[in-house]
Amino acid sequence: MDLLAALLPHLVNGVSLGLLFALIALGFMLIVGVMEQINLAHGSLFALGAYAAFVVMAGQLPLPADLLAQWKQVPAGWRYVAALVAAPIVAGGAGMLLELCLRRTYGKDVLYGLLFTFGAALVIEELIRILFGTRDYVLPLPRGIGGGFVFLDLIYSTYRVYAGLFALGAIALLWLFLERTPYGAIIKAGAHDSEMVRALGINLTRLRLWVFAFGTALAGIAGVILAPIWGIRPHMGVDAVVPAFLVIVLGGIGSFWGAVAAGLMVGMVVGLSGAYASEWSLLSMYLLLIAVVTFRARGLLGKRSVLEV
Amino acid sequence: MTGRTAPPADRDQARLFPPAMLAALVFFASVPLWIRGVGLYEYIGVEIMIWATYALAYNLTLGQTGLPSFGHGAYFGVGAYAFGLAQHGIAENLWLCLLVAVAAAALAGAAVAAFISHRRGIYFAFMTIAFGQVFWFVAVKWHSVTGGEDGLLKIRRLPVDLGVAAFDVSGNEAFYWLVFAAFALVATGLWRLVNSPFGRVLRAIKQNEARASFVGYDVWLYKFTAFTLSAGLSGFAGALFAQAQQSAFPDVMSLHWSGIVVMMVLVGGGLVSFWGPVVGVAVYFVSRDVIGAATTTWMLWFGLMFMALVLFQPEGIAGAWRHWLARARARLAAAGR
Repeated sequence: MDLLAALLPHLVNGVSLGLLFALIALGFMLIVGVMEQINLAHGSLFALGAYAAFVVMAGQLPLPADLLAQWKQVPAGWRYVAALVAAPIVAGGAGMLLELCLRRTYGKDVLYGLLFTFGAALVIEELIRILFGTRDYVLPLPRGIGGGFVFLDLIYSTYRVYAGLFALGAIALLWLFLERTPYGAIIKAGAHDSEMVRALGINLTRLRLWVFAFGTALAGIAGVILAPIWGIRPHMGVDAVVPAFLVIVLGGIGSFWGAVAAGLMVGMVVGLSGAYASEWSLLSMYLLLIAVVTFRARGLLGKRSVLEV
Repeated sequence: MTGRTAPPADRDQARLFPPAMLAALVFFASVPLWIRGVGLYEYIGVEIMIWATYALAYNLTLGQTGLPSFGHGAYFGVGAYAFGLAQHGIAENLWLCLLVAVAAAALAGAAVAAFISHRRGIYFAFMTIAFGQVFWFVAVKWHSVTGGEDGLLKIRRLPVDLGVAAFDVSGNEAFYWLVFAAFALVATGLWRLVNSPFGRVLRAIKQNEARASFVGYDVWLYKFTAFTLSAGLSGFAGALFAQAQQSAFPDVMSLHWSGIVVMMVLVGGGLVSFWGPVVGVAVYFVSRDVIGAATTTWMLWFGLMFMALVLFQPEGIAGAWRHWLARARARLAAAGR
């Protein structure tokens, strides 16, 4: 019982991290599902979201000095809300630009899309280095969600709990959007058979553009939420995209709940192993992956995917 | 050749030493004569030879078999570490250490290939990335063996002992001859392999995997073998790289560097030409030095160039060259008539 209690904070951190991984992975999977493209720049857009949030929060906007001074007077809570709005817009906008270029590769080998977005990832990371330098930034937070609290004699980080709840809410909203709205129905249909969707008179080109924007906007939001946990630095994109990859392969490509379950598993494994051997905690998720794909080649809930042909 | 002659398009492919190979070997053999004259230095030649060996080995999976491996840095890195560890732990013998490096990388490749050889397309790419990350992560964290981020240091350039005579290759110019010989060996070997019946099956798998298996080939085994061979030869290049740098670092195993080798292969035109990867590697290193001398943000410009290339000239430099050649030939034929 004592052991369990001692592990509880790690478990909470793990669940919170896992939900965030799932959120990043779901944005990634929307794009994989609808346009059969691996967006290697997903992590860079995640980083872009984090930097956008920092710029808004810290008031480093390219505005006249007096306006900027007024902006800094705005309560931190409102500035944080503004950051939460700005980050997905920046990331989604960059994603749209990428998709406009990526169009030329549709219908060719998937490798070209992969390589194009790899080039884009290099360029975005380098742009971040040029604009912000290589130093780490800390995202200032409103007072309400910082610090820690005590529950049953154990200290928890308030922010981790907040981040987990936020990710949970975002995943629930995403599920409602996909399952309960006509737009969601079109996206799912597009992932199933894009030719048929076109035949039904839906503008496939526009659908792909918006799905790409939407998926990358999710990465941008995740960037804001993870920024205080990981710190803001140019390399953070790779730290995010790799677990997202694992979550998707683990959960099974194209499976919503597979990604959520795999995200939670990865988060918990990382969190719990972090309690004992923090150096090696990230390795545990790779071992988990190998263990799962050995026995279930298509991941936990994966079905035969259109991508395998 | 008497009797039946091969169709004209295939004649080059079947030759033991095609003109492109002779030209490449003569060109690279002459590098030490003029490299300082054009303002470069021997070490860039060493880098180009090693990475060209690596890129050719990598292209056995991507260009020849159509398997998009995106984590090949792992095998390059395993080779580098294995070379260093064998040198420190077993014996300071070049041949033995190289053998250990190739065996270790091939073993790592075989282990991964056993998991993924029934896959293709995006799923294959996904899995190679995931496994590549495993190797990279272990290299970063296993401090007592690999030295972690600090790297495995004090790897010596071992003398080339040919039995009758031993050559010291610790200088860059002497070392260039070693890597040149390694490149020539791997290039010739791979050329023979690609044009053997085995290589034909690989190309059939690239074009249509289902059809190749219907014809009766054990596609899984061919993919497994190609991946393992490619990993082993990548490890060979890695062992040379460890000697060139006189140390081994986990960087080359990261997703970033695994992606860059794909980039080099594609820029050169590895998808359509056997020699494309060599061209791509040379372009990468020379432009790194030339653009890098002018601006510190060279990765930005190289990345943008690469993005444009993927969109507008996806067959790379070799593809562009072929188009140009075909058009020139057509023009000549039209003028002659």
